[in-house]
Order: sequence, then structure tokens, then C-alpha cells
Amino acid sequence: LTRSLVPSAPAALRALPPPVAVGVLHTTRPLHTTQQSLAPLPPLPEKGGEVRHGLIPEEFFQFLYPKTGVTGPYMLGTGLLLYFLSKEIYVINHETVAAACILTVIIYGIKKFGADVAAFADKLNEEKMAAAVAMKNEAIQTLQTAIEEEKKEQWRVEGRSFLFDAKRNNIAMLLETNYRERLLMVYNEVKKRLDYQVAMQNLRRQKEQEHMIQWVEKNVVQSITPQQQKESIAKCILDLKALSKSAHAAV
Amino acid sequence: MAGRRAALKAVDWAAFAERVPPSQRAMFNALKTRNDSLTARLAALPEKPPAIDWAFYKAHVAKAGMVDEFQKKFSALKVPEPVDTQTAKIDAQEKESARSTAEYVQASKARIAQYEQQLQKLKNMIPFEQMTFEDLSEAFPETKLHKEKYPYWPHKPIADL
Repeated sequence: LTRSLVPSAPAALRALPPPVAVGVLHTTRPLHTTQQSLAPLPPLPEKGGEVRHGLIPEEFFQFLYPKTGVTGPYMLGTGLLLYFLSKEIYVINHETVAAACILTVIIYGIKKFGADVAAFADKLNEEKMAAAVAMKNEAIQTLQTAIEEEKKEQWRVEGRSFLFDAKRNNIAMLLETNYRERLLMVYNEVKKRLDYQVAMQNLRRQKEQEHMIQWVEKNVVQSITPQQQKESIAKCILDLKALSKSAHAAV
Repeated sequence: MAGRRAALKAVDWAAFAERVPPSQRAMFNALKTRNDSLTARLAALPEKPPAIDWAFYKAHVAKAGMVDEFQKKFSALKVPEPVDTQTAKIDAQEKESARSTAEYVQASKARIAQYEQQLQKLKNMIPFEQMTFEDLSEAFPETKLHKEKYPYWPHKPIADL
């Protein structure tokens, strides 16, 4: 039906945005379409239903479109308005002027500042959300690091056998060192004593020899009588004379 | 002789050092230096003392029988091995530590399970944009307002605001 009407409409009307099919606006929240009830409930849609001129829902225009086309609801509105005015169902009085002024100001205010106020309110909400999400992420991060730390501690604890092995090694080394030191001490002591004996003997022998030599010398010197001394001196002089003679001859 | 040389178990110091937590590093260093000094001392000592040359002494020492007596006593002498009093304690310590380690690992695993559970809960939470205040109170019970205990706004003690 819709397609057959479109080619016959004038060109100006074709420039208007194409109408959407009925019912597409609220398919985001299908409640009670099946026997099962949805849980958790699907989230509310971000935006409300489409509205034209801030007041009249789009569905009304869609409802009338098949019968009256694009201008239908506007004609209806104009006709109704003229009917109310001409039949004086709505009486024009001072309140009409007041309403007109007030509405003008309101609409002007909304058109000018609406977007900014909406953005401000959205920003407030965004900040709250961001804080909550940041807290949640931080909590997740903390938990994950905590889990890793616990696993790391478990891994650390597995290395305790190293400690005890090292301690036992220390003990074994100490014992072994002690034993070797004792053996060495025994050896050294015995050797010292034997060496002492040998050294004592050597020393005694040396001293005896020296003493003997000295004693012999002393006795020999004592036994030289004055007579022998004179004889030996004379002999020495003769020898010297002979030597000097031979020396003279040599020179 | 079998009891004397308990074989020294090779300790992998690099792996050991990896596992030491930073708070106990000083103790680990002390242990390592002690071990190193003991190893050095042990290496400096010979395994057996050199043999005494009895023939030389027999030839040179004049006192009769002294060298023979020494030799006899020397070969008869048994140097007592030092008694090992500490290894039993170390073994006891090791058992104790095994037990406490098992306990700690147990507790640690319980903690990990708890953390995992909380993590799952956080990850499966619906996004904040789709939550109502009731959902928030379910997910984070600490945000629940006690309307019975504090019937008037703000439903919690003023100090908590």
C-alpha cells in the first residue's frame, strides 16, 4: 500500500524523511511476547519514544499515514484548532496571551539551553559511573595480584629443602674439619717429640765435640814447656832467615 | 669410617637465592658466607696427615725402645670422630617446617579460592548502567541502606556519609 502511494505524491513530499514502519520503535523491549518471562529484564532503552514537535508521538503520524499521507495529522490539527476557535469551545481571553508569552519564553529557553543542561546532567552521571567502574576494576586488579602473590609464596615455600640441606652440609663440614684437625694434631705432636729427641742428640754430640777440641787444645798449650818454646822460636828464626834468603834470591 | 664421611649434598645456591623473600635476605647471606668459609677451611686441610718415617727415627734416636714404643702407641691410637649432635635437631626442624608449610599452603589455597570467588563475582556483575539500587545492594552488600534500623533519611549513621 505504502509503495503504491509514494510515486503518486508530489516531489516536495518525497523530500521529507521516509516514514518508518509501525511498531519498530518499541521492539527493543519485548515483554510478554512469549510465555517465558525474561530474567534478568532486558535494560531500558536509552532514549524514549520518538516525538514530533516535542508533544505528539511519532506513532500517531504513522497511524494516520496510510489513510491521509504525510499532511494528514497536520490537517487534522489545523481543522481541530479552527473548529475550537470558531465554535468558541476554546475562548480567547487574557490567559491566552499569557500562555502564549510563557510558552514562547519556555520554548526559547529550552531550545537555547536544553542541550547544555542535558550534557551537564549526563556528565554528572558519567562521573559517578566512571568512579564506580574504576573501583570495580581496581578491586579486580587487587584480587588478581593477591592471587599471584599467594602462588608466588607457595613456590617460595617449596624451596625450604635447600635451607636444610645447606645446614646439614655445614654440620658435616664442621665435623669433618674437626676430625682432620685432630688427626693433624696427633701427627704434629708425635713428630715434634721425635724431632726433639733427634735434635737433642745432635746438640749433645756437637757440644761434646767442641768441648773435646777445646780441652785438647788447652792441654797441648799447657804441655808446651818453656824449653820447647825457646827451641821452637829459634827454629822459627832460622826458618825465617832461610825463607828471606830464598826470597832475596827469587827477587 | 662409614660414619665419618657423610656425603655433602650439592646445594643449588642460585635456585635457593631466587626463592628467598627480600625480608630474609640478610639471614640468607649470613648462611652463605658461613658455608663458604667452612668450605674454604675444609679445602685447606689435607685429608690424611703425612706418614711418619719410623725407619729414620729408629736409626737416629739413641734411646732404646723409645721409637718402638711411640710407633706402637701411634698405630694403636684411635682418634675419636666428633659426635654429631645437631643433625637430629635439623631433621626435627625439617619435619616441623614440612608440617607448618603444609598448613600454610592449605591456608593459602583457601585464600586463593576466596579471591577467585570474589573475582568471578565481580567479573559476572551486570554493568552499572543497567543496575537499579536493589541490584547494587545485592552486588555490594555494604551499600545497603538499613531502612529498619534508621527509618529516616539518610538511612545510615551521619558519620558514614
